[in-house]
Amino acid sequence: MLSPLARSRFRKFRSIKRAWYSLLILSALFVVSLFSEHVANDRPLLLGYDGRLYFPTLKFYSGETFGGRYKTAADYRGLRDDPGFRDRGGWMLLPPIPHSPLHPYLDASGTPPHPPSARHWLGTDSAARDVLARLLYGFRICMVFSLSLTVIGTVFGIVIGGIQGYLGGRVDIVIQRLIEIWSALPFLYVVILMGSIYGQTFGVLLFVMAIFQWIGLSYYMRGEFYRLREQPYVLASRAMGAGTTRILFRQILPNAMTPVITLLPFMVLAGITSLTALDFLGFGLQPPTPSWGEMIQQGLNNLQAPWIAMSAIGALFITLMLATFVGEGVRDAFDPKSHTLLK
Amino acid sequence: MNARPLLEVRDLRVDFALEDRTVEAVRGVSFEVAEGETVAIVGESGSGKSVTALALTRLLPVPPARFTGGSIRFQGEDVLAMNAAALRRLRGGKIAYIFQEPSTSLNPVFTVHSQIAEAIRLHRPDVTDVGAEVARWLDAVGIVDAAKRMHDYPHQLSGGMQQRVMIAMALACQPDVLVADEPTTALDVTIQAQIMDLLASLKERFGMAVILITHNFGIVSGFAGRVLVMYRGKIVEQGPTGEVLSCPQHAYTRALIECIPKLGSKEPRLKTIDHAALAEGA
Repeated sequence: MLSPLARSRFRKFRSIKRAWYSLLILSALFVVSLFSEHVANDRPLLLGYDGRLYFPTLKFYSGETFGGRYKTAADYRGLRDDPGFRDRGGWMLLPPIPHSPLHPYLDASGTPPHPPSARHWLGTDSAARDVLARLLYGFRICMVFSLSLTVIGTVFGIVIGGIQGYLGGRVDIVIQRLIEIWSALPFLYVVILMGSIYGQTFGVLLFVMAIFQWIGLSYYMRGEFYRLREQPYVLASRAMGAGTTRILFRQILPNAMTPVITLLPFMVLAGITSLTALDFLGFGLQPPTPSWGEMIQQGLNNLQAPWIAMSAIGALFITLMLATFVGEGVRDAFDPKSHTLLK
Repeated sequence: MNARPLLEVRDLRVDFALEDRTVEAVRGVSFEVAEGETVAIVGESGSGKSVTALALTRLLPVPPARFTGGSIRFQGEDVLAMNAAALRRLRGGKIAYIFQEPSTSLNPVFTVHSQIAEAIRLHRPDVTDVGAEVARWLDAVGIVDAAKRMHDYPHQLSGGMQQRVMIAMALACQPDVLVADEPTTALDVTIQAQIMDLLASLKERFGMAVILITHNFGIVSGFAGRVLVMYRGKIVEQGPTGEVLSCPQHAYTRALIECIPKLGSKEPRLKTIDHAALAEGA
C-alpha cells in the first residue's frame, strides 16, 4: 500500500525518538480528552441503586429515579451525602477527576480561587470551578478546533494552489492578486466583526480562521503544481485519456504531498496558539466554555492565585513543545539529504 | 483493404502564439494512415513532427497552440470537432502514445502495476481480472518474471525496461494506432535495437498501425513501409521507405540521409545540414 519511500520516511520518523514519543503522548492525551465526560465529571461513571445499575455519564436520569422530588437532572453531588440514598443500597463509582468543568464550588470554605488541595488537584479558578477539569476540556476544544482548522486549511490550500499552478496564466495571476488583497485584510478586525455579528461560537471562529489559514499552504502548492505539470508523466497520462481531475489528484498531488505533510504539525500548532490568543483577548469562545486563553486571562487578573496561570501556561507549553517535536521529526524524516549516505 | 483510411490528415496547420510573434509549427501537412500500416515521420528537431504527432489527439496546450486550418479524421470522425469526453476515449483507447523519456513518463510514486491497471480500467471497463491482464501485457513486451516485477516502482527498472512498460501500458488499451514519438532516443544503441525489434514483433502480432516519429533515418529502414520527411513544418517528400532512402528527391532528404554515420567512411567529420543552402534551393 505505502510506497517504499513513504515507508522509509516513516521508519526515519520512528527512529527520531523525541518526535515519535511526542506523537504518542500527544495522541494519547487527545484520545483521553475525547472521553473527557468519563474522565472529569461530577456525575458518577457507574451508580447502583435499589439493586439496579445506572450509567449517569452516558444517560440522563431525573432526580425522581433516585428517590428525589423533582423530574430535573439528579443532583449526584447531593446524593453522595444523602443518607436515604445510602439506605437503599446506593453506591457510586466516580470518574478519576470527580468535577465538572462548569460547576462552581461556592460552598467550599474560603473565597475562590481556592489553592490546590486533595479535592482540587490544581485548585479552582475565580468562579470556584475545578482547574484540572477545565484544563482537560479546554485541551479537547483546542485540539478539535486546531485539527479541523488544519484539515479545512489544507484542503483549500491544495485545491486553490493546485488550480493556480496547474492552469497557470491569467487564472493564476487573477487568483494570486485576489489572495494578496485577501491576506492584507486585518485578521483580528474580521474576527471581532464576525464575532459581534454572528456570535462568538466555535463554528464562526473556525470559519473566520479557516478563510485565512489556507493562504500559506496555497503558495507552496502553486509552486509544486507549476513544477509538476510540466513532467512528462502528466503528458503521458493525458495521452492515455485521463481527465483534468484525474491528472490533478491522481498524477500530480501524490508527488506534491511533501510540503503538505511537513507543514501539517506547524499548522496544528498555529491553530492552538491563535485560538488561545483570541480567547485570552476575549474575542474567542464565549464563557463559560472551558478554554486555555480564558484561563490565562483569569490568571493574569488573579496573580495572587498563581496555580491558575501556571496550570494553563504549563499545559500550553507542553502541548506546543510536543507538537513542535513532532513537526521537527516529520521535517527531518522528509529531508532528502539525510537519506543520501554513500555505503 | 478499406476504402477509407484509418487516419486522415488534410492540410493541417498549427500555430503557436508567443508573446511577441507567432510560430507556424505545422504548415499544411497532409497524410493518411491505413489500418495496420507503418508510417515513419522523419525530420530534425523543430521540423514539426512531434507537434503533428501530438495534434492527432489534440494534446497540444491551447493556448499557446492554435489550429488554424485543415482537418484530422479518425475513422471518419472529425477530431478537431470532438468534445472532451470523446477526446478522452480517443486518447489511449484508439490512439496511444509512447514518448521519448521512459524514466519521466512514468509516475514515480506508483507501481508499474497500478499505472497499467489504471489505463486498462479507463479504456476497458469490461476486463474483470485486471491483475492478470497487466501481467499478460508485461509478459508480451518481454519483461521476465512479469508477475513479480509489476509491483516494482519505475526507479527500480532500467531505461529499456521502463520503455517496455510504457509500450505495455500503451498496448494494454488495445489502440488502433500507436504513435511512437522518438521511442529510442533516450536509450543506448543496443537497447534501441531491442526496442525497435520488440515494436516490430508486437505490430506483427496485434496488427495496429504505427506512426514512428524520429530524426534518425537509421532506424526507419527496417521498420516502416512508408516514410514522410518533414522540414520546417511541411512534408517535403514521401514515399515507400526503400525508394526514399535509395533515391531521395528533395535536397533536405539527401542532407538528412548523409547525416547517418557510415562504417568505414573516410569522412573526417560527420556531415551536418547546411540550412542556408537549403533555403536558397527552396
